Amino acid sequence: MNPLLAQFLAEAADLLTQVDEGLLQLERDPGDPELVNEVFRAAHTFKGSSGLFDFPELTRLTHAAEDLLDAVRGGRLALDSGMTDDLLAAFDLIRGWLAHVTAHEQLPASAGADAAGLITKLRAPLGGEPAAAADATPARSGASTIDAAPDWLDQFDAEWLEETASWLVTTSATMRFVRYTPDEGCFFRAEDPLHLISQVPALAKLGLVQPAAWPPPADFDEYQCLIGFVLATRAAVGELNYLFRYVPDQIETVELDGTAIRRHLAGEAPATPVEEQMAHVAEAVAGNLELARDAYDILAAAQRSLNVDTPSGPRLAAVAHSVSAAAAALGMPVEAGEPDLESLTARVSTLLDSAPPPPEEPVAPPPPPPMAAADRGRADDPGGQVGTRILKVDQEKVDHLMELVGELNVAKNGLTFLADAAEEEFGSRVLGRRIKDQYSGLHRIAEELQAAVMDVRMLPLSVAFSRFPRLIRDLSRRLGKSVELVTEGEDTMADKDVIEALGDPLVHLVRNSLDHGIEASPADRVAAGKPAAATVTLTAVADGDAVIVEIADDGRGIDPDKVKRKAYEKGLISEEELEAMGDTDAVDLVFRPGFSTADQVSDLSGRGVGMDAVRASVEKLGGTVTMRSQLGRGTSTRLRLPLSMAVTQVMVISVAGQRFGIPVDLVVETVRVHAAEIGRVLHQEVVVLRDEVVPVVDLARALDMPWTPDPAADRAILIVSLHGQRVGLLVEQFHREVDVILKPMEGLLAYADEFSGTALLGDGLVLLVLNMKEVLNLAARAQ
Amino acid sequence: MTEKRPKVLVVDDAATVRLYHTTLLTGAGFEVSEAANGLEAVEAALNTAFDLFVIDVNMPKMNGYTCVETLRSATVGTPAPIVMISTEDSRGDADRAYAAGANLYLVKPVDKDRLARVARMLTAGVAA
Repeated sequence: MNPLLAQFLAEAADLLTQVDEGLLQLERDPGDPELVNEVFRAAHTFKGSSGLFDFPELTRLTHAAEDLLDAVRGGRLALDSGMTDDLLAAFDLIRGWLAHVTAHEQLPASAGADAAGLITKLRAPLGGEPAAAADATPARSGASTIDAAPDWLDQFDAEWLEETASWLVTTSATMRFVRYTPDEGCFFRAEDPLHLISQVPALAKLGLVQPAAWPPPADFDEYQCLIGFVLATRAAVGELNYLFRYVPDQIETVELDGTAIRRHLAGEAPATPVEEQMAHVAEAVAGNLELARDAYDILAAAQRSLNVDTPSGPRLAAVAHSVSAAAAALGMPVEAGEPDLESLTARVSTLLDSAPPPPEEPVAPPPPPPMAAADRGRADDPGGQVGTRILKVDQEKVDHLMELVGELNVAKNGLTFLADAAEEEFGSRVLGRRIKDQYSGLHRIAEELQAAVMDVRMLPLSVAFSRFPRLIRDLSRRLGKSVELVTEGEDTMADKDVIEALGDPLVHLVRNSLDHGIEASPADRVAAGKPAAATVTLTAVADGDAVIVEIADDGRGIDPDKVKRKAYEKGLISEEELEAMGDTDAVDLVFRPGFSTADQVSDLSGRGVGMDAVRASVEKLGGTVTMRSQLGRGTSTRLRLPLSMAVTQVMVISVAGQRFGIPVDLVVETVRVHAAEIGRVLHQEVVVLRDEVVPVVDLARALDMPWTPDPAADRAILIVSLHGQRVGLLVEQFHREVDVILKPMEGLLAYADEFSGTALLGDGLVLLVLNMKEVLNLAARAQ
Repeated sequence: MTEKRPKVLVVDDAATVRLYHTTLLTGAGFEVSEAANGLEAVEAALNTAFDLFVIDVNMPKMNGYTCVETLRSATVGTPAPIVMISTEDSRGDADRAYAAGANLYLVKPVDKDRLARVARMLTAGVAA
C-alpha cells in the first residue's frame, strides 16, 4: 500500500472514533457548541483527506454528513436522535468501506448503492439534496479530463480493450493508462522498474514493451534496461504521481473513458481537445499556459489584497514580493526594492492589463509536465518523511520479535544448567561461577529487551472501552432503560493480546448488566429510591503485573436465595449444599455451566454464552473473574488479567520424579508439614494452617502417577488459590520459578484438559504446565 | 553539491494532507517542515525564517486566518508569501484570507502540479 493511503487509513480510524464519541456525547448534551464544533471538524478533516483519493462515493457521503453537521453547528437545525442515528449509520458504513480499502485498496463495488439511501436521509432535514451540490463534490474529483488515446494503447490486448471500453461506458468511469519506459541505464541509478510496477495500486492490466529488435547475443548487455511497461489502473492520478515521483520523465499517463478507447480501436483520429489547441496559442504568447495562469492568479490575489484592506509592514512586503515573482514568471520583471502602496497598486493593474487572463478553470492540465525539480529530489529527497516521528510497524513483526525474545530467554536459562554442570560434572567451581556471572549480565540485557518489546505491544485500555458508549446507547434504547456509562482509567496499558481477548468477555458482562442487572424501567428505580438513570462503571487499574478491569452497575443486584433455588432446580447443587451455602458462594453459582438467571432467554445476552463462558475465556488468558453483589444496590464483576500473555511465570514442582509447572499467579505459599499434621475430614485430607482448614489434594494421585512418599519425611504442600478457595497440593519437591513462553497443546493432545500448555526449559526439558482447575476436577473424581 | 533549498512550512491538522503536501513539495525541491495547527506554525516561524507558508484554513487551536494574521503581526512579522488552502470555495473566504495577509487562496483538492508550480514561482528568488 502506498504510504499516503496508509497514512489516510490510520488517521481516518482516529477521526471516525472522534466523530462517534462526539455524536454520542452530543446526544446527551445537545446544547454544547464546542462539542458540535469538534464533531464537525473531525468530519471536515476526514472529508478533506479523503478528497486526495479517487473515492468519489466516500467523499460524497462524508460531504452530506458534514453539511448536516454544519447546519447543526450554525444553529439552523437541532440535532435529534433520528439524525444521530443516520450520522452514526453513515460513519459505520464508511468504517466498513475503509476496512475494504485496507484489504483491496478500493471501495466495495456496492458503495454507490449503499450510500445513496443514506445521503438522501442525511440531506432530508436540509430540505433534500440540492441539485447543484449533489454533483459538485464528485465532479471535482472526477473532473479529470479525458486525454487523447496515445498510439501505445495498441500494446494492450485489443479484446481486453474492447471489454474495458464497454465497462467504462456503462459505468461512465475512466481508467488511467501509463507507459513506463525506464532509462537504459536505470539500474545504475538504483531504480528498480519491476518493483515500481509491482507497487501500482488497483492494477487492471499490465503489458510488456519489448524492443523492436533484440540486439544479437554477442552484443547483449544485461546491465541495460531495454524493456518497458504499459499498464492500466483505476488508481488516482495523485497515487500514480506519488509512486512514480522519482521517474516522472520516464512516465506517460493518460486518462481515458470508454468512448476514447473505442475511438482508438476504430482507428479514428482522436478529437483534438479544445484545451490542447488553446495551449498551443497560450504557449506562443506566454511560453507556458499553466505558469501564465498561476501568475495571473497571484496578481489577481495581490490586487484583491490591496483592495480589501490597506496592507502595511510585512503584509505589504509580502504582496510586493508575490507581485515581483508573478511578473518575473510572466517575463515582465519589475525592478526590485520595496514599493509603496500606491506604486504597487499601479504596477499590479498594469501587469494585469498587459497579461490578459488566460482561459479559466476548465482548461485541464495536460498530462503532468515533468517537474523540473524532480531529478534533484532523487539525490537528496529524504523520502517525504519530514516531520514524521512515529513508525508504523506490522503487528506480525512485533510478534516475531517477541518470539525471538522468548527463544533468547530459553537459551539464556540454558547457561544456569551449564554452570551447574561445570561445577558438578567437571568439578570446576571457578568456571561455574564465571558462567553464572556471564549469565547475570545476559539476563539483565534480555530482561531489558523483553521489557522494551513488551512496551511496544502495550495499548491503552481505551481501545477495549471505546466500543461501549455506542453499545450502551443502542442497548439501553432497545430496552427502554436509561443508562449512563462512566469509564475510568482508560489510560491503563496492557498487552495488545490481552486487550484484544478482553473485548468479548467485556461485551458479555456489559450486556448482562443492562439486561439483567438494571431495573426494568426508570420508574422501578425511582420507586427503589435511586436516580432514574442507571450507571454502569467501567474501571481499569494496573496492579503490579496485572490489570484489573471492573464492570459495576447500580442495579437490583443478585438475590442469593433466588440463585440458590435456581441452581437447585437445575440440579447444579444438592439439597445439603442449598442449606449450607453462604451468600458469597451463592453468587458464585452464576459461573456454573448451564446457569442462567433470566427466566426467559432474552434477545440480548441469551446468545448461548453464559457467565461460565466468560470465566473460561478469562481463565484461558491466565486471569480470574470474581463477582460481588449486594441485593438492591448493584453488582460488580472484577476481571484480573496478566499485563502480558507473552511470558508466563511458573513455579516448577515435581511429583513422582516428573516436573510440572504451576502458574505463579495461583500460588499462595509453600509449606512443609509433618506427615502427622495431615488430617482427614470425611474422605478429604486436610491440613490446618493458621487456624484455617485447607483441603489437601495428592497431585500424584490426581494425575494417576504412582508415588509413595517416605513416611518419615516432611510433606511439601503448595498452597494455591482458585476462585478464592485455598487448596493444598501435595507434591514431592519445590523447584525454582521460571519465566516461560507457554505454547498451547496441539492436535490430539489438545484434549488433555489438565494441561494448559508446554514450555521449553533451558536444559532442553519440556515442562508441562498444569491447568489447576481441571486438575482439581480430576482429583475430585479420583476420590 | 550543496544548494540552498527554499524552506516551506506546511500547516494542516490532517496528517494525510500534510504527508501529501510535504511529499510533493519535497519532490519540487523544497526543504519542508510541518505544523499541525496555527500555534505550532507560529512557534516554528519564530524559530526559522521560512521562504513560504502553505496553510490550511480550518484547524483546531488556532485557525488559519488567525495564524496568518499572527504571522504578519509584529510578533512574527514574516514578509514571506503565504498560500492558504481551503475547502470553501467562496469569495468571502478568499477576501478574509487576503485581509489576514495571505497572498494566494487555493481550493482543495489542489492539483499537485499547480501547488508545486506556484510554490516555485513564489520562491523563485531563493532557489537560484
